[in-house]
Amino acid sequence: MSATLATRSDAAEAVNNDPLHDSPADIYEDKVVIRLIQFSVVWAVVAMTAGVYLSAELLWPTIDFGQFWLSFGRLRPLHTNGIIFGFGVSALMATGFYSVQRTSHVRLYSPRLAWFCCYAWQLIVLLGGLSLLAGWNSTKEYAELEWPFDIAIAIVWVLFGVVFFGTIATRKIRPIYISNWFYGALIIVIAMLHIVNNLAIPVTIGKSYSLFAGAQDAVVQWWYGHNAVGFLLTGGFLGMMYYFLPKHSGRPIWSYRLSVVAFWAFTYSYIWAGPHHLHYSAIPEWVQSLAVVMSVILLAPSWATMINGIMTVSTAWEKLKTDPALKFIVLSLAFYGLATFEGPMMSFPSVNVVSHFTDWTIGHVHSGALGWNAMITYGTFYFMVPRLVGAPLYSVRLANIHFWMALAGTMLYIVSMWGAGVSQGLLWLSVDEIGELSFSFKDIMASMQPFYALRLIAGLIFLIGTCLMAFNLFKTLAGRHAVVVKAPPVDPAYAMVKEVAA
Amino acid sequence: MSNSIYSFLLFKALYAPKAAFARLVAEDPAPLRILFRYSLWLLLLPPLFSFVGASQFGWRLGATEPLFMENEALALISIGYFCILFFGLVTTALISRWMADTYGANASFGRHVALITIVGEPLAVASAAHLFPDVFLNALVLIPTTIWAMYLLYTGIPLALDIPSERGMLMASSLVGWLLVAAVSLLGISMSLWTLGVGPLLGV
Repeated sequence: MSATLATRSDAAEAVNNDPLHDSPADIYEDKVVIRLIQFSVVWAVVAMTAGVYLSAELLWPTIDFGQFWLSFGRLRPLHTNGIIFGFGVSALMATGFYSVQRTSHVRLYSPRLAWFCCYAWQLIVLLGGLSLLAGWNSTKEYAELEWPFDIAIAIVWVLFGVVFFGTIATRKIRPIYISNWFYGALIIVIAMLHIVNNLAIPVTIGKSYSLFAGAQDAVVQWWYGHNAVGFLLTGGFLGMMYYFLPKHSGRPIWSYRLSVVAFWAFTYSYIWAGPHHLHYSAIPEWVQSLAVVMSVILLAPSWATMINGIMTVSTAWEKLKTDPALKFIVLSLAFYGLATFEGPMMSFPSVNVVSHFTDWTIGHVHSGALGWNAMITYGTFYFMVPRLVGAPLYSVRLANIHFWMALAGTMLYIVSMWGAGVSQGLLWLSVDEIGELSFSFKDIMASMQPFYALRLIAGLIFLIGTCLMAFNLFKTLAGRHAVVVKAPPVDPAYAMVKEVAA
Repeated sequence: MSNSIYSFLLFKALYAPKAAFARLVAEDPAPLRILFRYSLWLLLLPPLFSFVGASQFGWRLGATEPLFMENEALALISIGYFCILFFGLVTTALISRWMADTYGANASFGRHVALITIVGEPLAVASAAHLFPDVFLNALVLIPTTIWAMYLLYTGIPLALDIPSERGMLMASSLVGWLLVAAVSLLGISMSLWTLGVGPLLGV
């Protein structure tokens, strides 16, 4: 129902742009959306370049040239944080701000605060990235930034929530569309995870110690780490999918009811799955077992969402003739299906005992990060940018080339890491007749070189594709300003305040 | 239907796949005949190559010593390999047939079995790389072959199942989703079997 509303409202937008009757309160704040997209693309290029450099370092370790800031240990968190917080969060802010206005039929609550969030966030990513290169590191994966940045992130994140929920609170349309539930869960859960996991006692400006000790620290860290993947890289991007896929394909969501059921099932089951990162460790066994059970249950809402997306787009095939962006979203759903199946499977102890600590895990992360997160974001940017500035995409051909490069890069990356991971798992655990390890760790790692070379090529292909998109979007945006879009009138049947019958 | 289509598929599909797809449209093959006269023999190749290679040369995973296994364990793995490939072909054809309703594609099951067989044929032939079981060599051979197979899937669906190429693209992407899941399942099942004691001797 609401999906139809979202489509209907945008159709109304086109005929409702009468500048004479515009009041600023009715005009969508889209300039901040454009700026966030620009930042997101810049961080994608920077962080992916860091990733490609890291993969080259695994082949040629001396290319850090003795510089600490170029060493693997410092560059790696820059890569992950740059992708997640720079590229990912900027994209989520951009798409969240864009879609919440259009599904609420109202301008952003406090556009100034939205602008503050935009720039403050970029400053945090920039300075945070530099601090990582300088060696400030809390040693918690995906939460490496030290306490001054943690506090700044918490403040800006809460302000992001104020803008988002303020817009929802001032909406003119009664139903809250499903994409907003996912964006809302992203904001609330990430705030909770970030604040709890980063509780620490500061020692100096650049060093703190976690409030939690030993195994408890590990459990809290992976409760954070896994749900950062869950609610940011999955939930947030599902919000993106639920708004932009129906818009793209011009069809309502295949089953709105399924999307709501999947949302609650997803929210309930994801939060328990974190300890599957800690199999065969000192944490209680029942915690590990519970995590496995919840990981398997999680497959149901994940795939329900995938099926909902695939069925939504299945009748909109004619759009593919004119819209290269839709291809990215279609394929991202396939990789979403892969990653959300692979994850629960890797949580089985009998698989995990072989796969853990191997490059298969890296391959799994990238099937999600490249195949799902990056692809759906690219598709969404190709959709949004021309509409935001009222001009066609600079080059559809470049976008098509980008699509095939993204697919080739992702496939090559995944397959090379599957090969490396299976080899590592097998060789590390191989024992001879008297029970001694058959191979030395050093020899095994040296033998990974060909796989790392393939991964480097895969990363380069994906990075070049991203650069093509950056150029394409830059040329589309160059010299243009955001189109003025006014909130359309609300269908009285769905209005917040119903007219009193005379 | 004439028998000629089988020899046609067997050889020409490798170098003239579009002609093979066009032929499929002209003659609706019976699913069981395609399966037993053609698909099954192709499915035997990878386990056979794998058995011969692993027993003669041992798996080279890059480390100094090749990894040898008992012939009994190798036979068990090869039989499992064949079963899983057979299961994969049949389920993929069934899923493809099931998807046909959604994408308005031709519903003749024989076409789906033949389509999946033609798509998988280059992989079956390239599995000759298993004769020298070096993981990297196999990856080098099988990665481009997989890309070729994906190309066949994307070009073959519209041709063999009578749908526009855009709609075929959607259906092919859905099938790619299933195939990726099947591939990763194969890895997971293998690892579970290793930890249960089938296959190489692991210290778990």
